[in-house]
Amino acid sequence: MGRGRFVFRGCIFLAGIFFACLGCGALAQTQQTAFDLDGKPSDPLAQASSKIVVLVFLRQDCPVSSRYAPVIQKISERYQHDASFFLVYPDKTESAQRIRKYLADYGYHLPALRDPEHALVKSALAEITPEAAVFNREGKLIYHGRIDNWYVEFGRSRPAPTTHELSDAIGAAISGKPLANGGVKGVGCYISDLE
Amino acid sequence: MRWLIWILTLGLAAWALETAFAGGFPHQDHQAEASETQVTFNRDIAPVIFSSCASCHRPGEAAPFSLLTYEDVKKHARQIAEVTHTRNMPPWLPEPQDLKFADEMRLTAAQIDLIQKWVDQGELEGDPANRPQQPKFVEGWRLGTPDLILKAEKPLVLPPEGTDTYWNFIFRLPIQETHWVKAIEIRPGDKRFVHHANLMVDREASSRRRETTPGAGFGGMEIRIESQMFDPDSHLLFWKPGTVPYTEPEGMELRLDKGTDLILNTHLQPSGKTEVIQPSIGIYFSSHPATKLPMLLQLEDDAKLDIPAGESDFVVTDDFTLPVDVDLLAIYPHAHYLGKDIQAFATLPDGEKKTLIHISHWNLNWQAVYRYTEPVVLPKGTIVSLRYVYDNSEANPLNPNRPPARVKSGNRSSDEMCHLWLQVLPVNFDAAPGDPRMLLQEALAQHEVEKNPADFEAHYNLAAMLQAKGKLDRAMDEYQAALRLRPGDAVANNAIGSVLLAEGHPEQAGPFLEAALKARPDYFDAHYNFGNVLAAQDNFEDASTQFVLALQARPDDANTEANLGSALAEMGKISEAKGHFERALQLDPSNALAKENLAELRRTMNR
Repeated sequence: MGRGRFVFRGCIFLAGIFFACLGCGALAQTQQTAFDLDGKPSDPLAQASSKIVVLVFLRQDCPVSSRYAPVIQKISERYQHDASFFLVYPDKTESAQRIRKYLADYGYHLPALRDPEHALVKSALAEITPEAAVFNREGKLIYHGRIDNWYVEFGRSRPAPTTHELSDAIGAAISGKPLANGGVKGVGCYISDLE
Repeated sequence: MRWLIWILTLGLAAWALETAFAGGFPHQDHQAEASETQVTFNRDIAPVIFSSCASCHRPGEAAPFSLLTYEDVKKHARQIAEVTHTRNMPPWLPEPQDLKFADEMRLTAAQIDLIQKWVDQGELEGDPANRPQQPKFVEGWRLGTPDLILKAEKPLVLPPEGTDTYWNFIFRLPIQETHWVKAIEIRPGDKRFVHHANLMVDREASSRRRETTPGAGFGGMEIRIESQMFDPDSHLLFWKPGTVPYTEPEGMELRLDKGTDLILNTHLQPSGKTEVIQPSIGIYFSSHPATKLPMLLQLEDDAKLDIPAGESDFVVTDDFTLPVDVDLLAIYPHAHYLGKDIQAFATLPDGEKKTLIHISHWNLNWQAVYRYTEPVVLPKGTIVSLRYVYDNSEANPLNPNRPPARVKSGNRSSDEMCHLWLQVLPVNFDAAPGDPRMLLQEALAQHEVEKNPADFEAHYNLAAMLQAKGKLDRAMDEYQAALRLRPGDAVANNAIGSVLLAEGHPEQAGPFLEAALKARPDYFDAHYNFGNVLAAQDNFEDASTQFVLALQARPDDANTEANLGSALAEMGKISEAKGHFERALQLDPSNALAKENLAELRRTMNR
């Protein structure tokens, strides 16, 4: 808590640099940020845009999240005018180089982020890979959880999904209509195993 | 403090309390007690993971990640706790039972609890001194360098998405003489995407007709292999993730002849990206021919599979009475996505009932061949039964139809199946009447005909069995019954023609063989038989044409070469005839017909 107190005190004493204090706050938070594949800090939720933001959490060593690649790519293409998609890798041992290869192998054309400190995991309340999070145009998290109900449980999948939670959530974000269920747990690999 | 120490000695309960108060109490006093209940990776978890998971969870194997180190296991700890608790992992479908299976992968309840406890306690690594040695695995071919390695001629390109794919690869054996095989290791290509694979013996190259391009293989979940000799396949050559190559018991070698194909039937699952699957097999020869002849018994009742939409408990049964004493060696149940509860049992003549297998949560993805640790003794008169329950309701998430639709039996994955294979070895039989497998086969065929009077194959198989035993009249009745069900069928027409020829009625045989050739113009057997029919009627010119056509279908058949030589010799084309006799002897130096005829030819030429 030492750092937090220091920043706070600085603000009181140096009222003139109020904006710097905001900067300090942001600096304090750089402890928890995601990075793009060039290693630069990146916060997809703070990007100046009125677009809907969709985060999809993936792990290379999770076969369920890999099998979803064509599904995720297709959903992102369908909503490309309304929503910005980001693939998020919460495994801190995952290198940018390996992620780049994975994107090429699986035919992804989406920006990918490393989230070693689980900053985005926390913002999105993600628990499993693959899970998605949908933030509406106001930046509010309106859905987090499974992409659809393709998987019944680990090792058992339906021939095709019969519910489509991610698409429904993006649709709700576009129309502004309320969503019946804001969170449905996914089937796959626990992100908390990576802590 | 006193009450805390006192509770700690109670073991499990104490552990819960200790965790709950971990922040507030000093622990130095009771470190020794704590270590009794503290689960650590090195001491408690590694032995379970190494023995039950690591054989697949290591580089190059089927599992998507390795479980060889503390870091590996910690990265999947909660997931491991969950999938072991639900018994999705390790994949092992049968319920515990009296008759034990080899290589059982079932974890004990205590092991599963231990993993959960380890996760709840914070996944401690523990003392490195307690860690067992990482398991050592044989790299490459598990049984050493095979005597013969065959790779699928053309790979299959598996698309990144879509439903599961079923593909058959044909391995053409490059052997020139009969070999006996003690083991075949199946390497299904990239193990991560192959759910299971079955290797089948095609002694008459009948599957090649299904390839659109030679070597490319062909699609299909279930395949039927035609065989016109009584030579039942008797080995279950199966691969699933984690399968250790199986060496056949001494005396139970598998015979492979020149011209035999091996068909690898694979079940593949898209991975999210394009995958290239090119399986290979490694064959290990034996110096001994087989002395024991096991056989595969198939129980089934596909005909009863007509499952109404929405039906959640559709039961199918089949009961077969063994006509001879057998040792049951292995069992292989098979159903598709509606299969729910699968059971097989044996009712012995004294009334004792033995569960042969019970799978209460059927999962096609983890189907397997199960081998008994000890042969199961089933005396003559034992009734072997299957009882399969199917769920065609909306509550079955794997239901291929949404909304549920009426489902019948069939080869597509959206159709259903009700099959049970038993590998049995006839014992205590009287060798005088001949091969005891014939009794089994005839009883099975009779059983089939009774179950399915309108089933072409049932009648055909019974007829073939009767023909092999020399009961030609009864065979003819059954062939005729088959032909009535499928009038233009090439195989049935050919069979009737061959019986009529064997009975000395070539003039009656001709039309049937012509019908067979009309249905299948490149049908080797029908050309060969028709050639013989024509020769028996002294029409050697047309006979020689038929033998030439037969040789186009199967160029290396010594008998056909010899017959062609005979027809030519009868026509006075001596030097041409000689060439064919010589070629027959090249193909098969022991061909008696060619030898005899060549000698006769030389006598004629010397005269």
